[in-house]
Amino acid sequence: MSDNLLEISGLRVHFDTLDGQVEALNSVDFEVKKQQIMGLVGESGCGKSVTSLVTIGLATCEVDEGSVKYEGDELLFQDSESTRKITEVSGYIVVISVLLAILGGFWTILIEPIQGRNILLGSLAVSSTAWLVGFFSSWESRAHEKFMRWVRGNEISMIFQEPMTALNPLYSVEKQISEVMREHDRLVEPETPTINRVGEAIFSPISLIIRTIQAKPSSSFVFFSILAFVILAHRRGFADEAQSLSPYLILVAILYYSISDIVPTFQSLFQRKITLQEEIGMESNVSDVSIWTISGPRSVKYSLFGFLLNRELLKRFPMVSLFFYRLRQGFGGVPIGMAIALVIYLMLWMPFSSLMGMLVISSLLALPIVIWADFLRLDPAHSRQVREILEEVRIPNPEAVVKMYPHELSGGMRQRVMIGMMMSCEPKLLIADEPTTALDVTIQAQILKLMRDLRDEKGTSILLITHDLGVIAEMCDDVTVMYAGRVVERAPVNELFANPLHAYTRGLMACTPNLASTRKSVLPAIPGQVANPSDFVSGCRFCQRMERVGETLFTRPEMIEESLGHWVEACPICLDETKDKWE
Amino acid sequence: MSEESLIEITNLRKWFPIKGGFLSQTKKFVRAVDGVSLNIKRGETLGIVGESGCGKTTLGRVLMGLIPITDGSVRYSGDDIRRIPNKKIRRKMQIVFQDPGGSMNPRMSVRSIVGEPLLVNGLSDGAELTQKVAELLDSVGLKREHMTRYPHEFSGGQKQRIALARALSLNPEFILLDEPTSALDVSVQAQVLNLLEDIQKNRDLTFVFISHDLAVVRHISDRVAVMYLGKIVELADADEIYRNPRHAYTKVLISAIPNPDPSIRRDRVPVEGDVPSPVDPPPGCAFGHRLKHPNWKNSIDMDLSLREVSPGHWVQPCPCCTEDLSDHVNAKSDSTQIHESSESPEWERGE
Repeated sequence: MSDNLLEISGLRVHFDTLDGQVEALNSVDFEVKKQQIMGLVGESGCGKSVTSLVTIGLATCEVDEGSVKYEGDELLFQDSESTRKITEVSGYIVVISVLLAILGGFWTILIEPIQGRNILLGSLAVSSTAWLVGFFSSWESRAHEKFMRWVRGNEISMIFQEPMTALNPLYSVEKQISEVMREHDRLVEPETPTINRVGEAIFSPISLIIRTIQAKPSSSFVFFSILAFVILAHRRGFADEAQSLSPYLILVAILYYSISDIVPTFQSLFQRKITLQEEIGMESNVSDVSIWTISGPRSVKYSLFGFLLNRELLKRFPMVSLFFYRLRQGFGGVPIGMAIALVIYLMLWMPFSSLMGMLVISSLLALPIVIWADFLRLDPAHSRQVREILEEVRIPNPEAVVKMYPHELSGGMRQRVMIGMMMSCEPKLLIADEPTTALDVTIQAQILKLMRDLRDEKGTSILLITHDLGVIAEMCDDVTVMYAGRVVERAPVNELFANPLHAYTRGLMACTPNLASTRKSVLPAIPGQVANPSDFVSGCRFCQRMERVGETLFTRPEMIEESLGHWVEACPICLDETKDKWE
Repeated sequence: MSEESLIEITNLRKWFPIKGGFLSQTKKFVRAVDGVSLNIKRGETLGIVGESGCGKTTLGRVLMGLIPITDGSVRYSGDDIRRIPNKKIRRKMQIVFQDPGGSMNPRMSVRSIVGEPLLVNGLSDGAELTQKVAELLDSVGLKREHMTRYPHEFSGGQKQRIALARALSLNPEFILLDEPTSALDVSVQAQVLNLLEDIQKNRDLTFVFISHDLAVVRHISDRVAVMYLGKIVELADADEIYRNPRHAYTKVLISAIPNPDPSIRRDRVPVEGDVPSPVDPPPGCAFGHRLKHPNWKNSIDMDLSLREVSPGHWVQPCPCCTEDLSDHVNAKSDSTQIHESSESPEWERGE
């Protein structure tokens, strides 16, 4: 067995467009060895992403020739011409004979029963035969699709460029990772089997209620204490008196709102020994410190509002201002206080018997929702598994992150979740399509290190697609440079950077600004841009970009091995360093 | 480049309120820009770098007068920017946005896109406008026949050229470049950078170049300001700041640039975590807090305004990120120096 994990050879694909066939790749050859990080570099439009998509069978293009071998297994599959014809024709026959059968049905009822029945049965027989023929002729391709579904995720997985679009915004991180694992049978035995959970929910709803209280203690506590009070009032017969008291609940809410944050505020005040004067003064230099200290949102600082408190007043009479400020805060509680008061008033006003009836009915109505919510909950064992995966990709505080949704995470965290999801099935090959392009340099450095660590710990091979030569130099063992759908140079990374043979590689290196270059100098830039795929010439395409004329545009340059492992597309002009002409 | 300053920013703050709850009261503030003072000299290129979320774009927009100022002031050649009429200031200051496709109306031809500022300001019309647009397109390396086309017919680099031509159309003194090359390929990026330098030389423009790519910023800028969480932590000459970074954050940023040379592959451990939320920024030195530096607590009650350590090199002094400033012993900062203590955070700069 060779030590090549992935071998791509002679890959040529095209897209069918309205303007005819557009060639996307033209004889792409490279290998990814075991435990190796292979870099694939080139500008946009060079076919890097298409190569990776063809590899895992997700591309929407037609493969003309070539092979993609994963550990010796061919990943590309195409029906033979005859099979495709058979499938197509049998499809037509099925449609026509079903139509005939419908016609036969009407015939039986409306015109001539026996004739109609014969037509009906005959066409049904034809359609089922044709369907069976079609089914068996596409047997092989279905088997291959099944194989590919196994390969994707289990053996090869892919990290996409934009983690926001690759994650589903409607599901929590936990849910999404466990879904991938369930699809590939990687989940451990659940702690409580599904059937037990359904049974529990049906036979003992009380346990669900207990769990609800556990999940949200504060709000459930308020709810249950109100309920207890109302029942008590009814049983003891002071419901009417209590009724007349309930409007005053608004005052309670106001009071609660105005003092709820006073304790932590004063605590921090004493801790920091910062005078009230200082903290109110907006101009003072220490304000940054103190504002933060007194628990940002409700701090006095933000009470710089119009009529009651102007800055002067605040500075002169801090305590008075604070009182008004608290009062204003408290008015936020009015709507909630009104709502609660109204509900309690109604509950007290209602006769006890009908109140109990209402409660029973509403709890019965709520039960399915509670059961459903509980049923959707992830099993603790699976949840632990997901948390372990997140720990592996160095996510701080995984307990909190598993419950979050993608929009709550920063770009770097999202990319980590993405990597975690892809690593959850322990693939042997990871295809990373521009994993760090959208990230900041510091976060990029974190992600790259993470990927390198994964390679070292788990022996995962990585195919890293990027346009940043810095990332390539930092990460890769071997590099493949692609230009316009072709591999133009392939070499070990040290060799490539020390001795770039192809003009395109040299151009890419020259035009990247780096810390060693002279500042404000004219950057050597490759003129123009990658040609439109429909205009590609058959010869050297980089000569096409450099607007050279001559023989090289028409004869396809061969790949030659310049030194051991260093392959280059041997266009005589592109190989000649003296003929490089940058803008 | 003269020493005369074109834009003076003093203690600028921009806080965005977060509304929520009943009657949408203001609950919190996002402190996007929190006390920035800067002088932008006439004819220079000032680079602003920092991670996403550190307020560089907001700073740019505030100094353009695109969004109102919360506190502090911006003066454009001596006049408060809030008092200059909008039409007047737009002739002086222009902006090029990050996403060239998103900043153009897809239903307008290039002629009307580039010519619109001229039309709005009543500077030219008809055939004269066409002539002027042709000249502008020529100056950014596009051809006259591109005038009748629409934005979607152009590649990213060409779109950015069009955006630049539009910014140049009123012959401004100042252009804000908000990540103009981050959506482009490297070779196209090099073309655009060269173009920017050419234009600056020919028209004597002042640039503010916002980017998160430090190599690009170094290439194009005269001075570089490093921002972290709404504050400037270091400001110096471009060569100086890369050769001799004083603030730990600058060092981290510089060490995080992937070096396109595999022979000096560094096994560096990058700084942990993300930029904290600017809603509740930590007191004192925000970066020291991220590093969990043992000296961070000392910075809480310190005056963290920028200090000039050598001519033109301004650093935010704090006991955690710029230890060597407190004793003034070594003029040259040794990058490994501050991480040798036993309690050093889990990051370091490699050799």
